[in-house]
Amino acid sequence: MTARTGEVPHRQPPPAARQSLQGHYAGFASRFAAFVVDVVVLTGIFLLVLAAINFTASILVERGIHLNRGDVWVVVAYAAWAFIYFAHFWGLNGKTAGGALFGVQVVTDEGADVSGRRAIGRALAFPLSFLILGLGFLGILTGDRRRALHDVIAGTAVIYSWDARAARLRLLSRSPSSAQPERRGLPESSGTPAPLS
Amino acid sequence: MDPLAPLRAVGGRLASPAEALAQAIAERVINQVVAALDLNALLAGIDLNAVLEEIDVNQVLQRVDLDRLLDRVDIEAILNRVDVNGLVDRVDVNRLLATVDVNRLLSSVDITALIDRVDVNQIVQQIDANEVMERVDLNAVIGRVDINAIVQRIDLDALVEQTDLGSVIAKSTSGVASDVVDAVRSRTVGVDESIARLVARLRRRPYTGPPGPPASLQVGVAS
Repeated sequence: MTARTGEVPHRQPPPAARQSLQGHYAGFASRFAAFVVDVVVLTGIFLLVLAAINFTASILVERGIHLNRGDVWVVVAYAAWAFIYFAHFWGLNGKTAGGALFGVQVVTDEGADVSGRRAIGRALAFPLSFLILGLGFLGILTGDRRRALHDVIAGTAVIYSWDARAARLRLLSRSPSSAQPERRGLPESSGTPAPLS
Repeated sequence: MDPLAPLRAVGGRLASPAEALAQAIAERVINQVVAALDLNALLAGIDLNAVLEEIDVNQVLQRVDLDRLLDRVDIEAILNRVDVNGLVDRVDVNRLLATVDVNRLLSSVDITALIDRVDVNQIVQQIDANEVMERVDLNAVIGRVDINAIVQRIDLDALVEQTDLGSVIAKSTSGVASDVVDAVRSRTVGVDESIARLVARLRRRPYTGPPGPPASLQVGVAS
């Protein structure tokens, strides 16, 4: 390693920004954002498949089949698809598309990988958190382990799966002249370093 | 004229043979008496302790010229007859050391003067460093080092900024896409923390950062 030429402004970044969040329980915003992305993704795929079915049917059947979003069978199919989507990805590696984007992962309450059975249980319990007027999500805000009702039922938890410190170092390495990385969106959160093995 | 002078003259002539005769008789009697005596029986009948109690040993010793006495003693010959190893084997060193006030002993030692007399360079030259290192269990030494504490003392931000390590990291990772993802995640985590602080404030509880990690992940954190 050789020192770079030129003066580097001496500054003391906040301790929290130096630490990783990896392995810590994920907060409400990250989980909600991941869920929104998942809904967008699975709905988009569903609508595409629905449109494809309509198009194929219009070709194969003379009178055509018009499946609208308000039809009961369509709603049931959508619910089944959503169940399959979440259960499959949670059981696969704990990450849905939204979870991968926002760096959150579903694990057991002990931190281990989620089994297929537990993933199915979580997917079945997931609507309960909505059906009680959203109170099932209150545990994410107030609980010590940030667990929603369906987490408690299924014995799961949601953790950050990305390394905030590594991201910060990557950003610093690309722009050494940026003296205020916190302005560029790096986390100010605190917590103990948690490099997952 | 002294009337006793003739008698003295006769006595003077007879004195020497009489004394000689008396002495011969006495020596013979003494020898026979001594031969007849059972000295062991006689000594057994004497209470030596009582006799010793009567003697003022200190006074006797004061009259002894020890230096002169020791000068006549062949110490080397005595020591040659002593089985030092056998003697040391009979000594309970631990018990002996237990009676020694080490602190008092050390306090009386001038450590500085002692060290001044030590030729450290010579000692170091006599040490086989390789042999010493072979006897050192480096794994045990490293095991006692708190690596996490050392890493915590490193200003990683400054290190990355001031060295080429930063460019290495930058080259090893993907570009714009990962930046965007990092930024999105970071901002969302920032919102997480803001919400958590707000909730903690409403609940009038201190907020110390995101909780966790779960039990099984704590092993990975510690390592």
